[in-house]
Amino acid sequence: MSLPPYPQKLSPEDAAHFLRRTAYGATDAQIRALVGKDAHVVAREALKFDARTAPDNPFDPSTGATPGAMVQLTRAAWLFELMYSPQPLREKLALTWSNHFVIGTDKVKNHPALAAYLGLLRRHAVAPSFERFTLEIAQTPAMLRYLDNDKNKKGRPNENFARELMELFTLGIGAPGRPNYSEQDVKEAARALTGWSFVGGRGNPKNSYLEPVEASFNPGQHDDGPKTYLGHSGNLSFEDVICLSTTHPQTAVFVSRKLHRAFVADTPDEGAVQGSAETFRRTNGNIGVVLEELLSSSVFYAPQHRASIIRGPVEYIVGAVRTLGQPRLEVRQLLNLAQTAGRMGQLLLQPDTVGGWDGGREWINDSTLLTRMQVAAALTLGNAAPRLDAPPGDLALFGSEKNPVQAALQGLNPRQRVYLALVSPEFQLA
Amino acid sequence: MPDRRDFLKLSALAVAATTGMPGFLARAAAQADGDRTLVVVQLTGGNDGLNTLIPYSNGAYYAARPTIAIPRKDVLTLTPDLGMHPSLRPLMNLWDGGQLAWMENVGYPNPTRSHFASMAIWHTADPTQAGADGWIGRVAEKIGDPFCASNIGSSTPRALQADTFSLPSIDGVDTFGVKLPQGVDGAFDAMLSAPRQGEADYLLRATRQMMKNTARVQQNVKKYRAGVSYPEHRFGAQLRDAARLIAAGVGQRIIYVSLGGFDTHAGQRAEQDELLGTLAGGLSAFYADLQKQGLTDRVVVMGFSEFGRRVAENASAGTDHGQGSVMFALGNGVKGGIHGSSPDLEDLSGGDIKYRQDFRGVYAEGLQKWLNLDARSILGGNFTGPGWVA
Repeated sequence: MSLPPYPQKLSPEDAAHFLRRTAYGATDAQIRALVGKDAHVVAREALKFDARTAPDNPFDPSTGATPGAMVQLTRAAWLFELMYSPQPLREKLALTWSNHFVIGTDKVKNHPALAAYLGLLRRHAVAPSFERFTLEIAQTPAMLRYLDNDKNKKGRPNENFARELMELFTLGIGAPGRPNYSEQDVKEAARALTGWSFVGGRGNPKNSYLEPVEASFNPGQHDDGPKTYLGHSGNLSFEDVICLSTTHPQTAVFVSRKLHRAFVADTPDEGAVQGSAETFRRTNGNIGVVLEELLSSSVFYAPQHRASIIRGPVEYIVGAVRTLGQPRLEVRQLLNLAQTAGRMGQLLLQPDTVGGWDGGREWINDSTLLTRMQVAAALTLGNAAPRLDAPPGDLALFGSEKNPVQAALQGLNPRQRVYLALVSPEFQLA
Repeated sequence: MPDRRDFLKLSALAVAATTGMPGFLARAAAQADGDRTLVVVQLTGGNDGLNTLIPYSNGAYYAARPTIAIPRKDVLTLTPDLGMHPSLRPLMNLWDGGQLAWMENVGYPNPTRSHFASMAIWHTADPTQAGADGWIGRVAEKIGDPFCASNIGSSTPRALQADTFSLPSIDGVDTFGVKLPQGVDGAFDAMLSAPRQGEADYLLRATRQMMKNTARVQQNVKKYRAGVSYPEHRFGAQLRDAARLIAAGVGQRIIYVSLGGFDTHAGQRAEQDELLGTLAGGLSAFYADLQKQGLTDRVVVMGFSEFGRRVAENASAGTDHGQGSVMFALGNGVKGGIHGSSPDLEDLSGGDIKYRQDFRGVYAEGLQKWLNLDARSILGGNFTGPGWVA
């Protein structure tokens, strides 16, 4: 019951839709380059990426004068990558995974730990094995610190990591009255996770935020007694718990739903989610295969899923810059925009809770709408607005050449026209 | 998610409710008319109730918490058995004046230890988690005005989501105004007048509503005269904005503020001490400001957290997720004192206290006795409260 493929060659609107979802939007020329191609070819091309980064990133977090400065530079460096990377889908996936395997800079203030975490999100963006991805993330100092596993020791459990591993990273909590796991599973998993910590980067972050840091296992602090977790008994280890969690049948559904929410609809179709979950299980959690099938499916291109995702703050900002043809912004503007995304509810690497950003309509309220209008004005009409050599056309701005605002925008100069397009409902949707 | 036909029907209702008011909504609005405000304070992350309102005469408390218990000498004594965390000292004069109430042992049936599921239960007032909309959202539906309740902050909690609209979040009163660039006013209006469908329609309505809300605030907020100085933290600034909105008479019946960071799995003392200090400093300044504005008879504050923590501390000098906790309320309209009985620390449920007061009873009194709204229809049942509203 995997997803049926989209049978048609891409029309201009199909291509615009694809690039809004996978590249935060694009210029008219970039959209037209995909017209007439096969959906499968387009998806496969977009998912083929490597370790290349955007050239001339002006931000180097290791030069930060304080832990706070380092964190700000880390955010700005990532925003730069999101805007200018030649591989936008890799960055979009890294952002999606950062909202799945959540950490927060309120607790993680060590540069090497943050860099390693971000590096893993990119490297595993299309992980051939979700199990491997989860294990590697779980054993980063960033995650061990964020979920207090460095405090989880034999006979002295700390349940934070065990609970969020199941609820947020793998199985999901389940339906009311039909939980996917029990409180006993939380306790047993916590025991199995004991002993995993990290070395380096401890003490006052003021002195240790640039210190190298590495995951570590201390057998003396590991509880090696018998345990029962998700119906399996034995002398379970950290690795066993990750394996049992990630290969649990519900994990396929839970992770597939996340991907559908990132790429198909804020309120996904559960039947289609099950289709992806089946592919997930069949391929032992090969995210690349699941995504390729999803991004070339008729579900992805279905009319009811067009313009159905409300762009989040980062997606809005990056989408505007990419639609404008990636004009080079000033260092100050970039720093400012990274903070502004925070004011709109999406501070990179710092979701409000370990549950991450829910997205959808939760992005929208009076204050965030006001801030979107300010961002749009700054990018189009402000004193420091970038040059507008080739104003974007309707396809780039609205995803369609037939849109309800055409008449309203007649008689404006190009900058005013782009400003109003950026604050229109149409642009705020992907 | 309602289906598409429902969605369109509801959208039509929302537009009607915010422009011309249909009869049945007008009646509800008349009934809800009043000048009282309820300020809801959310402590996000699971505040440890036992270290907030401390059973300092109970040996079981000290036995369960060798490292993080509040030493008896530091407790701010309220009764022979209970006292407040020392960081709550700024609230002592409210206690002495009979304007501070603590509600013991508050929870709900079949508690969950998930932050998100539990917070959703408090937000929807529905322990089955079936309700998608928030309890304050339902208040707004009843009154028929999306501006009757507002969140202060950058993202709207689920408590303030309604079927037909999401209530405003105001992240700073000073910046809550629209300044359109020159020469685009007409085109902006035209752009917002083209009809849309689906999510585009939602964004369109949200933008139109925002234009109205900002205009309403900016016209009125000048009425506020600075009363007192607030502590220099975000929570203090949010309470100051709450006071400004109330003083401006903009019309909110419920104002919502949040303070996060209570997920104290490790090193709890330092973290919770600081957070409770922030809470008490902010609330104390807020009350003083209300006094200056002559508003103390019109405002009560009600605070909650999604759950309390495990009774026994863990080995990281912190506490894991528990169930049941304390709530608090303050204001002249509050019956000061301790409501309910303290949890039995020797009769636990999976290491947690057993709740005795359903939180919906606490909400019900706030809705019915303070705001004069029909609590039964908002909460979907009759719930008995501890009698915290004077």
